[in-house]
Amino acid sequence: MTPSRLRTLIFILIFMGGLIVGFFGVRTLHAFREFGRHRPPPPPSAADAGQIETDVELIREWMTIPFISKMYHVPANVLFDALGIPANKNREKSLKRLNKQYFPQAEGIVLEKIKATVLAALANQPQQMQENPQPPVVPGTPTFAP
Amino acid sequence: MSEFLLTQIINYGAPILGVTVFFGALGIPFPATIIVIAVGAFCRQGFLSWPSTGLIALTCVVLGDCLSYAMGYYAREPVLRRFRDSDKWVQAENSFQRWGGMSVLLTRFLITGIAVPVNLIAGTSNFPFRRFLLYDLAGETIWVFGYGGLGYLFGPQWEAVGAFLSNASGLLLGILLLGVGIWLGVRRFRISTGIQESG
Repeated sequence: MTPSRLRTLIFILIFMGGLIVGFFGVRTLHAFREFGRHRPPPPPSAADAGQIETDVELIREWMTIPFISKMYHVPANVLFDALGIPANKNREKSLKRLNKQYFPQAEGIVLEKIKATVLAALANQPQQMQENPQPPVVPGTPTFAP
Repeated sequence: MSEFLLTQIINYGAPILGVTVFFGALGIPFPATIIVIAVGAFCRQGFLSWPSTGLIALTCVVLGDCLSYAMGYYAREPVLRRFRDSDKWVQAENSFQRWGGMSVLLTRFLITGIAVPVNLIAGTSNFPFRRFLLYDLAGETIWVFGYGGLGYLFGPQWEAVGAFLSNASGLLLGILLLGVGIWLGVRRFRISTGIQESG
């Protein structure tokens, strides 16, 4: 390699390396701080699979209604009814896609409605769960295990 | 992209994860690490079974790596036609024979951004396939079960873990480039100073 080519290579490596270190360094620090803000997770146990999630802020727009239904043990038809949309053909669609399809003028409305419905359902759940620890089973709700 | 893939994984399960990591190993820019961490969390929540999901992911990613090794292997002839007489090529090939195993291992789970180029170089430089497979299998096992295990361990916090690990991997790549650049610069400076002193 000629000296001028080597000089160019060294310059590119140092410049690109510095740029990447700066960019990802800031993002890593930010992600580390963000991670530190969360409460420590409970240790995994065999009971986790049936555990009810109670934090509705964990609901994301990529989730589907049956997934949220299983995660929070809220019947899927309750969630579809809250949105006023049919369950048929909508089970595999994400909240974002449902929003685009049924409420194109109101961005994020599906997520907000689902959060509110789940929250309301969870508020009524503790008594039911004490009487019957099994989650409610809704006919036609798909399972996720492959 | 990751949101679309996550939706498909919760709808169709482990096969979608397998397809994602397979094409990720071929160089398609899928956010495979984040997806593996997320799937670990889904396993904890009981949506997927971790032994079968882990095995499907491991098989598919190793197949993808082997295919990209093969691409490098079959591109060897045209590469050799051009560089056969170059001392630098021989030097690079010898270096890869010496350090290739460790490069394959570390790029599976630590500096994942350069995994595909390493696969191609391994194939092109005639790095023994059995050794490649051994290091690849070890590295991908750490990636699938280590990163998936973190998702499993941290459950609902997988997004924060994923963001941290993805950025840390990018940071390591930057440090590596910067280190190589500085090392070459120092070496060049020493050589030029030595020539001046002897002259």
